[in-house]
Amino acid sequence: MFIKIIFSYILGFLKVSIEGYYIERFINICKNKKITIWNLKRNSGISLLLNVRVKEFKEVCKIAKKMGCKIKIKSKKGLPFLLNRYKKRKIFIILLLFVAITIAISSNFVWNVDILIDNNENLENIREDIENAGLKTGKLKSKISTKEIINKIRLEREDIAWMGIELKGTNAIVKLVKADEKPEIVDKNEYCNIVSNKTGIITKINVQEGTANVKVGDTIKTGDILINGWMEGKFTGIRYVHARGEIEAKVWYTKNRKIPYKLTDTEYTGEEENKYRIKFGNFEINFSKKYSKFKIYDTIETENKIRLFSDLYLPISIVKTTYKEKKEVKKSYTVEETKNIGIKELEEELEKEIENKDNIVNKNINTYEEEDGVQVYVTYEVLENIGTNEKIVF
Amino acid sequence: MEKKRKTNKVDKLLEFPKEVYSNEPKIAVTGFDELIIENFKGILEYEEFFVRINTYIGIININGYNLNLENMTNDDLKVKGKIESIEFERIID
Repeated sequence: MFIKIIFSYILGFLKVSIEGYYIERFINICKNKKITIWNLKRNSGISLLLNVRVKEFKEVCKIAKKMGCKIKIKSKKGLPFLLNRYKKRKIFIILLLFVAITIAISSNFVWNVDILIDNNENLENIREDIENAGLKTGKLKSKISTKEIINKIRLEREDIAWMGIELKGTNAIVKLVKADEKPEIVDKNEYCNIVSNKTGIITKINVQEGTANVKVGDTIKTGDILINGWMEGKFTGIRYVHARGEIEAKVWYTKNRKIPYKLTDTEYTGEEENKYRIKFGNFEINFSKKYSKFKIYDTIETENKIRLFSDLYLPISIVKTTYKEKKEVKKSYTVEETKNIGIKELEEELEKEIENKDNIVNKNINTYEEEDGVQVYVTYEVLENIGTNEKIVF
Repeated sequence: MEKKRKTNKVDKLLEFPKEVYSNEPKIAVTGFDELIIENFKGILEYEEFFVRINTYIGIININGYNLNLENMTNDDLKVKGKIESIEFERIID
């Protein structure tokens, strides 16, 4: 019965009130003629409320006339009547259709290209290359053939080991794996020396080809020849080779800086201001004035692409800019504190420069107090392979 | 009537539900607010406080208040409302 009622809601039904004396007979006749009526309710008095389907209403009318009952439609319910009401609201329906069509059309395009590179390595200009190959935001999905694009890019670039393109909704996910660099091919016919490129003290020599020019413990400057590109035999005489070998040396990295006792620092005050704007491609709509009310501030921009469901990106994005207010604070430190600040700064800078931190052998810190500040010297002793190839010019 | 009795025996053996093979009504009361009658003939009287239903073996009277005939199909009827009493009137042959 419940299903029947839902069905009749789709087809539409009427709430009818009937007034008369022979209501029981009316119900029985309805039953015998197999007219479904439901929700019969006796109003105090002689009227009866009931629901009838639209199709069967005419027959009900006939029966009621025979019985001498008055029949009145109280309300019309169901989908047909609901739709009928919206027939008059043409603009509403047109807009509804318009929105549906635009969504349907826009879901055929790619609106978002995500590039995921394995191990977070960076490949230069990969985004432009992908765009040139044909995967752009705003392109028809059916016109993108992933195989062709992959082939194009892999032919162009040699630093990609694997590439995959996945179209998900309006979202294109490009996955890349960076290739290892090609090993250098040593051209044995090209004679060269190994020349130092740093200043330091040699700690280890390992010559594979050529003649070592230095000994362990020697101090070298940049430009000194470490391994000569020739070999001398007793009987063969001098023979030129492509020098190969590893030379490890102690190298020093030093940095010094004068840190004053009085510093002006910037601090966040904790106040924030959020501004939003909507972006369609290159076109932007600002919701508020562009400039912040703060004097000194940091700006942080975050862009959120609007999407329907999980994958259907639309070409609209909301850009949120947060302004964080800063203020200048004048601070004066004691001698110890300034030293620590200086040492910390310099150590961080040096550690960025040094590629392999395991090779750090020694750390040397010197500080000299002066009237208005502290001179800080930080020296790192690092073991490094030094030496670059240099052609022998005859 | 004789023919009917014969079929009755077979049906008893097969354990058919009675309301399927005979015209006897089945009355199911759930709680005090809902009553379903299967195999009914018609409605004799219907007021807010009193429903009189005709069946093949007699008449069922239902007393109460706010009585609605929730749904009515060809062979079952659902009465909803505060039911106070149910009475039967047998047809005596």
